[in-house]
Amino acid sequence: MKPTIRKFLVPLAALLLPTGVLAGPSGTLVIAENLTPENLDPANSQNSTVDQLMLGMYDTLVQFTAGETTVSPRLATDWSASADGLSYTFNLRSGVTFHDGSALTADDVCFTFDRNQAAGANALTDAGPYDSCNIVDDHTVQLNLSAPFGPFVSALGRVYIVNKDLVEPHMADNHARSWLSVNEAGSGPYVLKSYKPDDSISMTAYADYWAGWDGNHVAEVVFRVVPEASTQAALLKAGEVHIAPDLTIDDKIAFQGKDGYITDIGAAATPLYFMINVQAGGPLSDRLFRKAIIMAVDIKALCDAVLQGFCAYPEGPMPSNWPGHVGGIYPEFDLEAAKKIIDDNGWAGTEVNLTFLPEEEIQQRASEMWQANLAKIGVKLNATGDTWPALYAAAQSLDTAPDAGGSSAFPPFPDPHGILYGLLHSSKMGINGGTNFSQYSNPEVDARLDKAASSADQAERMKLYGEVQEIVGNDYIHVLVAQPASVVTLSDKVVGYKYNVAHHQTFNFMDIGLK
Amino acid sequence: MNKETAKNVVVYIGQRVSLTAIALVVLSFMTFTLGQLVPGDAAVVAAGPNAGNERIAELRVEMGLDLPIHKQYAIYLSKLSRGDLGKSWFTHQPIWEDIKARLPASAELVFLAMLLNVLISVPLGVLAATRFDSKTDGAIRLIVMAGAGIPIFWLGLILQHYVAGEAGWFPIAGRVSFEFRDFSGSTGFLLIDSAAQGEWRIFWDALNHLFLPAITLATLFIAVVTRTTRSTVLRTLQEDYVTLARSKGISEYQVVVRHALRNALIPTITIFGMQVGWMLSTTILVEEIFSRPGIGKYAVKAITQSDIHGVVGVVLVMGVIFLITNLIVDIVHLFLNPRHRESVQGK
Repeated sequence: MKPTIRKFLVPLAALLLPTGVLAGPSGTLVIAENLTPENLDPANSQNSTVDQLMLGMYDTLVQFTAGETTVSPRLATDWSASADGLSYTFNLRSGVTFHDGSALTADDVCFTFDRNQAAGANALTDAGPYDSCNIVDDHTVQLNLSAPFGPFVSALGRVYIVNKDLVEPHMADNHARSWLSVNEAGSGPYVLKSYKPDDSISMTAYADYWAGWDGNHVAEVVFRVVPEASTQAALLKAGEVHIAPDLTIDDKIAFQGKDGYITDIGAAATPLYFMINVQAGGPLSDRLFRKAIIMAVDIKALCDAVLQGFCAYPEGPMPSNWPGHVGGIYPEFDLEAAKKIIDDNGWAGTEVNLTFLPEEEIQQRASEMWQANLAKIGVKLNATGDTWPALYAAAQSLDTAPDAGGSSAFPPFPDPHGILYGLLHSSKMGINGGTNFSQYSNPEVDARLDKAASSADQAERMKLYGEVQEIVGNDYIHVLVAQPASVVTLSDKVVGYKYNVAHHQTFNFMDIGLK
Repeated sequence: MNKETAKNVVVYIGQRVSLTAIALVVLSFMTFTLGQLVPGDAAVVAAGPNAGNERIAELRVEMGLDLPIHKQYAIYLSKLSRGDLGKSWFTHQPIWEDIKARLPASAELVFLAMLLNVLISVPLGVLAATRFDSKTDGAIRLIVMAGAGIPIFWLGLILQHYVAGEAGWFPIAGRVSFEFRDFSGSTGFLLIDSAAQGEWRIFWDALNHLFLPAITLATLFIAVVTRTTRSTVLRTLQEDYVTLARSKGISEYQVVVRHALRNALIPTITIFGMQVGWMLSTTILVEEIFSRPGIGKYAVKAITQSDIHGVVGVVLVMGVIFLITNLIVDIVHLFLNPRHRESVQGK
């Protein structure tokens, strides 16, 4: 175990010591990663495997500090919104340089937003109705919206600013997507050193980073791609990786409390839903039937038995740690009452088709649990495992959409909008190419969601979102089946790691050091 | 070989090459169809969640998915002929570049596994045949049965856990140790590059990393070949010419190696040829467990991300390698087997 660590730490120390570098970043942090990051393009920052690299190589105007759900200044030192909510002015920090040494100015910021818009980047679709960008001076930008958008500033935590001089020459080739997929043009704390997809990605500290390197930081961060959970466990034991985020639940428990390891449990907000297709016809169109089948979902048993207690019970459409969460929305688990509803209405023998994603263990187990419980109340659940693209494509037509679909939400920023809009708004119905697999369309809900999205008054927004959750609770269109916690196993040599709910499955590089 | 024979051999090879070319066209059609059958809409996948129908429709046009199938196939073929397998909708890089970068890692693995296969299975098969019905034969048959029955991923996990993890005799995962992670060379083959640069520590390290994956990969194939070699050697040992050789008083070693084995090896070589392709596709299981950045791991990623171009590209490349190795086996046969040569001659 130990010789392996010594094997790479000794030459590294030997490299550093003669130059007399004792302060400043030191050591190499190795993180296991089960998925190959699809590419390095900031346009794809909605994907956490991309996002975790972006946080190292790029900077944003504002950012969420791990543990917080409101933004802090980053490249922007301060900002203000116009009274009509249609334009935002950001003052930029001076003295920020990109990794090629050139200064980061308002021109780069505007280029980034326009490039994201032209490339149809998901990062920007979630940032609302962005319209245009004006350069006020070198260190002031004005971002204009076509309609007011309350959570606009929160949504900027995933818009990573690129170096215009480096990216612009490649714009002719699919908005520089190919170039930025394998190259880096950022100003973040770490510089891309090597990108070997399927193998490893390595970043080294950027000496001239504007925030400076006082304190305990690592000199190099390596992501090692290790798809198998058991291999991650073996590498963690052997000391070859410092952080193993993707262990099986059993392994996570085995490492918990063991000498030499830390288990970090973070309140995540990536809930799993079973969405019931309200346009499927038959009993499914009746809210009472939907209520009965929702009453057959035993959320607590699932949390205890499958997630081994690493979970929360939100009892409503939003994660319990989310701003604006309302509890007590869903009916209690009660098979007797559910069976009575089914029997009284002559619905016994009804068949319901569920499509779920078996690659997520929790979905598989939740489907089995629901199937067994529904059988007890006289409803037959036909559960079929499929891939996300297949489910997404099936939901685009009422002819192919399943009666119920399993889907997890990965909200891009901590705001009710980030979850409720995609889940409930009629423009996001599956048949409209969205993720509202309930195919739910309710003008009352739409009006409130739209109003809340365009309002900047936080109190008013939260009130509207509260109303939305009550209305939806009465319509019985889905159930939040599980809210798993983030459980990350680390070597006790790592200090400073903290889960960031705004950037699920990422690392707060600037706080992490090695003992 | 007289002039007539030489001419016929050329004709024969020409036939095999054209058959392979036809098979290639069929393969291209099959991979194209595969791309059409993969569940999930490529445009939906490329657009990502919450993209909206407009963006998806745009992408569909961009990706040529709105054209009739025969036009899509024609475009596919013309691109293929230029070595263009399309772009990955995830890495945004040309598929061929992606595959080319990963092939050496898989080729090294397959090569070592094949080497182990040849070195172990043939002697084992001969031993079993010459000791027919003895305890040795029984033991070998037992090992073969176990080897053929053990699931590859299970064997890999067990070897990794006990031989690498607990005992620490071999590295757990990866292609090369952490300290050598920045090593690179011109060919992409770690063993060749490190040897060429005289970096013997890296060579040894890379070989060490290959050993467990190669054993895992080879086991099933060793079992198959051992069984085949055993039965063919057994059969040839009963042939008249072997009895004649024996009656001439030639030593048993000479009888087995010079006379029986040479003929018995012909079906074995056919199997070796096919196994190269099979092994390459089996790397999908092995590379995933041992985290080796090869074509198998690439295939898994492409499948789980519904990266249709990627999946089709991998299948096509594996298919082409399969066809080429079989072509080579066909030609090798011609030189190994006098009867085969004569049958060509007789035409």
